Amino acid sequence: MSVSLDSPEQLPEAFRSTGMRSRALRSLRHDPGALLGAIVISILVFVALAAPLLAPYPAQGRGEANVPARDLAPSAEHWFGTDHLGRDVLSRVMFGGRPAIGVALAVVILAVLIGVPLGMVAGYRGGWLDEALMRTTDLFLAFPPLLLAMVIAATLGASLFHAGLALAISWWPWYARLARTVTQSLKHEPFIDAARVFGVREPVILARHVLRNATTPILVQATIDAGTVILAVGALAFLGLAAQPPTPDWGLMVAEGRTTVVTEWWISTFPGLAIFAAVLAFNLLGDALRDVLDPRTGAR
Amino acid sequence: MSGNLLELTGVAKAYPVPGAGRKGASILAVDGVDLAIPQGRVFGLVGESGSGKTTVARCVLGLTPLSDGSIVFDGTDLATVDSRTRRSLRREIQIVFQQPLAALDPRMTVDNLIAEPLTTHRLARGAALRERVGRLLSDVGLSSVHLKRYPHELSGGQAQRVVIARALATGPRLVVLDEPTSALDIVVQAQILNLLVDLRDAHGLTYLLISHDLSVVRHLSDRIGVMYLGRIVEEGPAGALLASPRHPYTRALLASVRGRGSTTLDEPPPITGEMPSTWDLPSGCRFHTRCALRDELGRPAACETTDPASATVGPNHVAACHFADRVPDPSQGN
Amino acid sequence: MSTLLEIDDLRVDFSRDGRVTSRALRGVSLTVEPGEAVGVVGETGCGKTLTGLSVLRMLPENATASGRISFEGQDMLELSARELRAVRGRRISMVFQSPGTSFNPVFTVGYQIGLVAERHLGVGRKEGQRLVAETLHAVGLPNPESVMRFYPHELSGGMLQRAMIAMAIICRPSLLIADEPTTALDVTIAQQILRLLRSLQREQGFGVFFISHDLDLVSDFCDRIAVLYAGRVVELGATAQLLGRPRHPYTRALLEALPGRAEPGTSLPTVPGAVPNDLDEAPGCPFAPRCPLVVEQCFRERPELAAVGAGQAAACHRWDAL
Repeated sequence: MSVSLDSPEQLPEAFRSTGMRSRALRSLRHDPGALLGAIVISILVFVALAAPLLAPYPAQGRGEANVPARDLAPSAEHWFGTDHLGRDVLSRVMFGGRPAIGVALAVVILAVLIGVPLGMVAGYRGGWLDEALMRTTDLFLAFPPLLLAMVIAATLGASLFHAGLALAISWWPWYARLARTVTQSLKHEPFIDAARVFGVREPVILARHVLRNATTPILVQATIDAGTVILAVGALAFLGLAAQPPTPDWGLMVAEGRTTVVTEWWISTFPGLAIFAAVLAFNLLGDALRDVLDPRTGAR
Repeated sequence: MSGNLLELTGVAKAYPVPGAGRKGASILAVDGVDLAIPQGRVFGLVGESGSGKTTVARCVLGLTPLSDGSIVFDGTDLATVDSRTRRSLRREIQIVFQQPLAALDPRMTVDNLIAEPLTTHRLARGAALRERVGRLLSDVGLSSVHLKRYPHELSGGQAQRVVIARALATGPRLVVLDEPTSALDIVVQAQILNLLVDLRDAHGLTYLLISHDLSVVRHLSDRIGVMYLGRIVEEGPAGALLASPRHPYTRALLASVRGRGSTTLDEPPPITGEMPSTWDLPSGCRFHTRCALRDELGRPAACETTDPASATVGPNHVAACHFADRVPDPSQGN
Repeated sequence: MSTLLEIDDLRVDFSRDGRVTSRALRGVSLTVEPGEAVGVVGETGCGKTLTGLSVLRMLPENATASGRISFEGQDMLELSARELRAVRGRRISMVFQSPGTSFNPVFTVGYQIGLVAERHLGVGRKEGQRLVAETLHAVGLPNPESVMRFYPHELSGGMLQRAMIAMAIICRPSLLIADEPTTALDVTIAQQILRLLRSLQREQGFGVFFISHDLDLVSDFCDRIAVLYAGRVVELGATAQLLGRPRHPYTRALLEALPGRAEPGTSLPTVPGAVPNDLDEAPGCPFAPRCPLVVEQCFRERPELAAVGAGQAAACHRWDAL
């Protein structure tokens, strides 16, 4: 059978490896922001996990008071000073990373797990299912997250867990919408038609073809949202609707120092900086992820 | 039993006009198409955008449900089958797309892409699967070097070969070729055309070729059907139809594409105007508003009042024109 | 009459981070006489569109061009930004493949075309709109006054392409660069557009730089043809001669690969291999690895474009074997 070939070794363009690892390294090299984001996140996560070992005053980090040493300015013994109850601010900030990052991840993961499947099915099927989903998301989006958190705090009691719950409930509609939009734009692509012609079943089409092509925007959004959740939890804690004392929570710590922002500035400032650093880092990382995850944008 | 692998009878597809309200106005993208393809033959469906040819293809593939008419594949009416039979019939009818890169999931590598139809129908697993993928790969002229590549790492020709490999994976009998080479360069197009011819001979395939490119249709087809505004206006053996078209639209198409050194641009245009919109169809013969023959004949009333039925104009050759016998042959500039 | 456009040894490289990532054009030379239509053909990646864009110096930031592009006596590569703006749209115009994407969707067609006239011809709004109506009529659009008020999405592909041509010729340029102007159109509309271009060309006398991958199309429209391969001109000559008796194996390969010229169902002659990638630095002829007439010399020595007959040139050592 005579079959003529274009040379199998011939590559369409200057072929650079587009495996994920090389793309990741390349994007980190080219984008200082991405590098910064990645470094900061790594530090924060590491510190949060290793807090019991790294913190100079771990017990105080967890909440044990030491009133005689209160309101001390930053010094050699207390790099970040001490708060109103004499606790070492540095240790508190280190331990504070745990609830912050933990809740951020939990909220985002929950929102994705609820929202994405709903959005995909609605986007793919259309019709009344889509209408139903849209109206439901409208309903949920009408609730300001703060209001919802307050309601939950009032009924179930204020805690970090409840704050996280409130945020997850407020957040999932965004992912449903995002997944729906992406699915709608993909569903007319020839390769989806191809899957249907092959007889691939709908759930498999959604999982294999739609989801994997939707991963990038969802993951990028989720990463950036993690930062936003930290901010939101911080705000809720500031208002007393989330973690309760003596939990080391950045938002709570900012609240505790708010009356003395001018005089004992270190009590609010360092936790505030921690929030800032975390949010910024997640944002930078989210941008970098976009390049890494899409095999096409990495090649040239 | 007619011995035809594929038979379309009275196939119609209507799309509701959005915002048309209670009236139920709809656009008939396909309005009564009959065609038959015997096993092992190639049928070329020609038309421009808006002719409905793509919709016909989608109906045959089951991507779009019919509004009317029937599609019979190897004696089985596709509308009457249950979903399990439907699914197994999917192995028999396959498609090759126009844009190879759009037809391949950008996130899957070539080996998974070719394996997908096989795993979907549980035709092979493990080592047997790998072996079959390897064989399909070499059948289309690619090699193992390509296995781990992503679609965007392939050239247009290579990507189209992957699309063809996927189409062949389940051993289909009918392959719908939807503008298979329109997006390809001249030399690559020739290679793919050769491949399609070889594969047809090797596997006894039947092709439904959809294209606007008359030279490709001429090269591959045994029979040609010309579509205009949802209907087949002429159908016949490829050679006879191209040499002696019996519908003014076919003639206009041929005159529009010919031009190998001949000065057709300085002659009067074979056809003017644009295809009317499907919701504002001309009365009588749909083509009369652009028909040069009608003008030549002094605008006979029939063209505007009566919709011509498809009539025999030669052996196995039909055309829907009141004056089919007056259509002049293409000029001998070929 | 002096040559309208003369491209002499045009080279374009793309770079990133200080390194050259692509040598897209490797010494393109061709000319267009006043009122002449020259077809620039080749396959994807050969550099035909890039050559057209280079004439207008519409190159991306990371591209460096060298050589000379002489238009009406000026070197396009040497002009200042201000001088360039005076030429683009006024002396040299361009018509693109996809008419829909060349118009801004939020402005009416008449407004956009009018802007071109106002800017280049210095006329006021009223006079500009009058010119627009006149030009729309010249490109065969019925009811120019109402068409002018349409938005791009309200016009069909064929009408929009006519509108784009109107925008290109309203200032009566002396050179029109047409980049695959009919590729996105149906065949019956395409031939109308080609006829329109032909009659406008005859009437206004502009030269046409016609970029296409479709040899049949170009053979109908153009007086001369340049065949590009891997960033170089491999053959150049009058249409009838070039297509009747090609003097470069690649040109012949292209012609033989066309299904329209072969017996139906037969195996079409093709060449194996693929176009070399744009960083390839192999000495010798770029077509050598695929050429059916190749000899040892072809790998060593790169053939230059040289005259092989009256008004015909080819870059091949074995041109006389064809």
